[in-house]
Amino acid sequence: MPIEIPKDKWPGSIRTVTIGATSADGGTRSKTVTLGGYTTLPFMHFEAPMSNPPVIAIEIKSRKPDDWSPLLFEAWGDVMNDPAQWAKKAEETGADLLVLALTVEDSVEDAVKAVKSVLSASGLPLIVWGPGQAEKDNELLVPIAEATKGERLVLGICEDKNYRTIVATAMANGHLVQARTPMDVNLSKQLNILISDMGMPKDRILMDPTTGALGYGIEYGYSVMERLRLAALQGDAMTQSPMIVTPGFEAWKTKEAKVGEGVPEAWGDWKARAINWETLTAMALIESGADVVVLRHPESVRRVREAIGELVMA
Amino acid sequence: MNHTLTFTHDEKQASVTVPTNTLLTDAAHLAGIDITQPCGGQGRCGRCAVMVTEGTVRRRSTLRLSPADIEQGYALACQTVVEGDVEIFIPPQEKIERRLTTDRVVAEVTVPADYEYPFAQTVRRVHLTLTPPSMDDQTDDWSRLQTALRLQHRIENPTCSLPLLRKIGSTLRQDDWRVTAIIETSRPSDHATTRPSDHTTIRLIDLLPGHVDEYSPLWGCAIDIGTTTVTLWLVDLVTGQVRAQVAEYNGQIARGEDVISRIIYANKNGGGDELRQRVSGTINSLLELACKRIKLPQGKVTPDQVVKATIAGNTTMMHLLLGIPASSIRLSPFVPTVNHPPMMTGRDIGLNVNPEAAVDCLPGVASYVGADITAGVLSSGLDSAENVTLFLDVGTNGETVLGNRDWLVTCACSAGPAFEGAGVVNGMRATQGAIEEIWINGETLEPTYRVIGGGKPKGICGSGLISLLSEAFITGVIDKGGNVNLSARSPRVREGAHGGEYVVAWGAETESGEDIVITRVDIDNLLRAKAAIYAGFTVLAENVGIPLETVDKVLVGGSFGKYINVEKAVQIGLLPDMDWSRFEFLGNTSVKGAYYALLDWRKRERITEIAKRMTYIELSADNSFYEAFTSALFLPHTDLSKFPSVVEALSSKIEGRTSFDR
Repeated sequence: MPIEIPKDKWPGSIRTVTIGATSADGGTRSKTVTLGGYTTLPFMHFEAPMSNPPVIAIEIKSRKPDDWSPLLFEAWGDVMNDPAQWAKKAEETGADLLVLALTVEDSVEDAVKAVKSVLSASGLPLIVWGPGQAEKDNELLVPIAEATKGERLVLGICEDKNYRTIVATAMANGHLVQARTPMDVNLSKQLNILISDMGMPKDRILMDPTTGALGYGIEYGYSVMERLRLAALQGDAMTQSPMIVTPGFEAWKTKEAKVGEGVPEAWGDWKARAINWETLTAMALIESGADVVVLRHPESVRRVREAIGELVMA
Repeated sequence: MNHTLTFTHDEKQASVTVPTNTLLTDAAHLAGIDITQPCGGQGRCGRCAVMVTEGTVRRRSTLRLSPADIEQGYALACQTVVEGDVEIFIPPQEKIERRLTTDRVVAEVTVPADYEYPFAQTVRRVHLTLTPPSMDDQTDDWSRLQTALRLQHRIENPTCSLPLLRKIGSTLRQDDWRVTAIIETSRPSDHATTRPSDHTTIRLIDLLPGHVDEYSPLWGCAIDIGTTTVTLWLVDLVTGQVRAQVAEYNGQIARGEDVISRIIYANKNGGGDELRQRVSGTINSLLELACKRIKLPQGKVTPDQVVKATIAGNTTMMHLLLGIPASSIRLSPFVPTVNHPPMMTGRDIGLNVNPEAAVDCLPGVASYVGADITAGVLSSGLDSAENVTLFLDVGTNGETVLGNRDWLVTCACSAGPAFEGAGVVNGMRATQGAIEEIWINGETLEPTYRVIGGGKPKGICGSGLISLLSEAFITGVIDKGGNVNLSARSPRVREGAHGGEYVVAWGAETESGEDIVITRVDIDNLLRAKAAIYAGFTVLAENVGIPLETVDKVLVGGSFGKYINVEKAVQIGLLPDMDWSRFEFLGNTSVKGAYYALLDWRKRERITEIAKRMTYIELSADNSFYEAFTSALFLPHTDLSKFPSVVEALSSKIEGRTSFDR
């Protein structure tokens, strides 16, 4: 007896967003990344094609971080001392795009220089994060936006208490913004409304709903993303932006991934565990609707890429 | 082409000649008359309404005028241009305010039409003339008094306290065995039979020498103990008239802003006693103040002349006043010690009324739906409404009741004291000196405000805060998330100690000499308050499956001023977006309910019935309240489709918004 698979026909779709601009569009990128544009929950190919499957960003920093796990130092080696070299290696590792995270120690000159050197070392589209302190973020991101006008960078991270300056400079210089809210459907929607109210075109906003690592609240983040996606497909224009999440950052904060000493022997091999942690966190979020996952370890990148490939083919 | 305009204003006339398409406000200015334009000439406030008595004009917008107004010739001066010779009458400002469709003035307090003191009142005064004792009649004083009561007034078996007993001997002898007794009857006789029912208990409250004039006042008081504000009405029980209305912040505020922190404080060593004394202290000083307000030819009124007090208040406030441990209210399964307190005396609870005064604490429903709400349902008439009605108490505990004469459901949510002016830097109660209405000019961001009493402003009261929040939002001073737009070009928008703030009045204009501002923290408190209230009634309506649109009337209670601008309250998402005519503003419904219960034992019984009939819905039982709360934590709401009128107001403002955005 043939089984008929029930299909949902959704009235809404995920907005198409393109990151990066090639020389034809006024930028210098060798390729661009396009997200969204589909009308189904992730990988439900029998309902509608997943036109732009999820992509992987690798997170690099303007200065060698001092709080990352030794496993990450081991994986990247000396390139961590120079953002340009790190960017090049990340591109070789298989990233679709890059995240450059600035630090509080960066002066305006340092930050602009780091961004420019990454742009010339790699042709990938770029996301730039400020250090995460409202005043410092604004101080660094405005000159960066001006110095890279037309590149269609993603600038972040906008939060509900600090979004105006970043959005204004992104609007003026042809960039996009990343809008982060703490794991709540309504808050995501509200920040999207606030940013759109300033006149930012909706196809230049990425939603960052925040998440937790495996074992550290991922089910809450998963549920929020799933509900955002359902609202978007039901036609709510303010939840239709593609979603970016940071499983690399979250997973490498956990004790399980970060440290290899002073933990129970039953936990097994440290490196295998750490990479599993990052990979599983990322895959769960991809299943719940993430369009961009930001990762840290090259091996996780390889595995997640393979898994996405299989899901697309399935 | 030029036209001649003639203005009549203040019984004076002025003429001016202007070209076609001149605005009436500009023409008036040329004629030397300044027409008030609080909103900056954007046609939003309706304060510049004038009457065109002769000639042709073109009205570009009539947003604030009803079809009947236009029929009568009304036009908004800032939105109307000249197209011929015109005669214009400029009405006095007060007359315009009365016409505005947005304003809801609090209903006046009137003595219920059916109030008849001898039948409705449980406390009454009777004149007695006793036969003096003699060697032939050695009956004791108390028996003699009882006999007189029975023979002269059919009052059987009264009780009397020991302290009162100690003084009856001298009182009887003071004016030659002529006395006035004040008697409490637990359930006065019915109209039909003058015989008291079997369950009636009768108590002597006081004995006064001589025959007190039967038309002179007999004092009672109605009290509402709010978490934030305590209100007291002093009432003459003979006529039923409210003779003084006073209110003050609850002295317990210094020990926590919400009921939960009060309960925690009361649980600490000596905390319960302190809170009891603080609230009775507030009531006693209000009694003092109310008595001072009354001038009588017979002399001063003093608190100890008050012989009956009826008290409404939420369950926690009632427990704290009575000194009953309240800790079980906040612990699962949330059960209070008592919902229906027994009758008490002034002495029992430490009020400075007559020590024998009858003190009646009204019954509540549950830990978080107290006597303030049962009293509010009575005074709002919700329990006899034919159609489904929503009753909102915009107070610290945000209680909501939905229903009609057949059913009543209720819930409560912690809204905080912001709308009562507490927890806001320059907030205050709605008294003399409070800014009660604010308009912000969309171009210059300069405010215009109205102060209660007309003097220099001291602060901003609840209705002022509602209109300020709405105006700041509509003019773009703050965004939908409540962030102050620091890039707005105005010296009034600035970085303060707690983030962005907006200056409503410069120090030079204020009573204290300090700037009156609204800060980011204030805005957050107001947003949380309005979100809690909105979420409360939406979740309640969802729970019973009643779409809000089908609610016939929305009755709004709260002590934030004598009136509320419904449009502003909708614009901030405090009230649902529906036709303004469906809202009624009732003021403090709790003290009004206590007043009705004070006057009439049948009303008092109705409150008991209401308490029995109400179904309490616990909002913390699932996630739906929190979800509704966060989505309401936005201006006006995350789901804009619920506020079509606000979307419209905003879309007409978009140009104004971008003009000052850098």
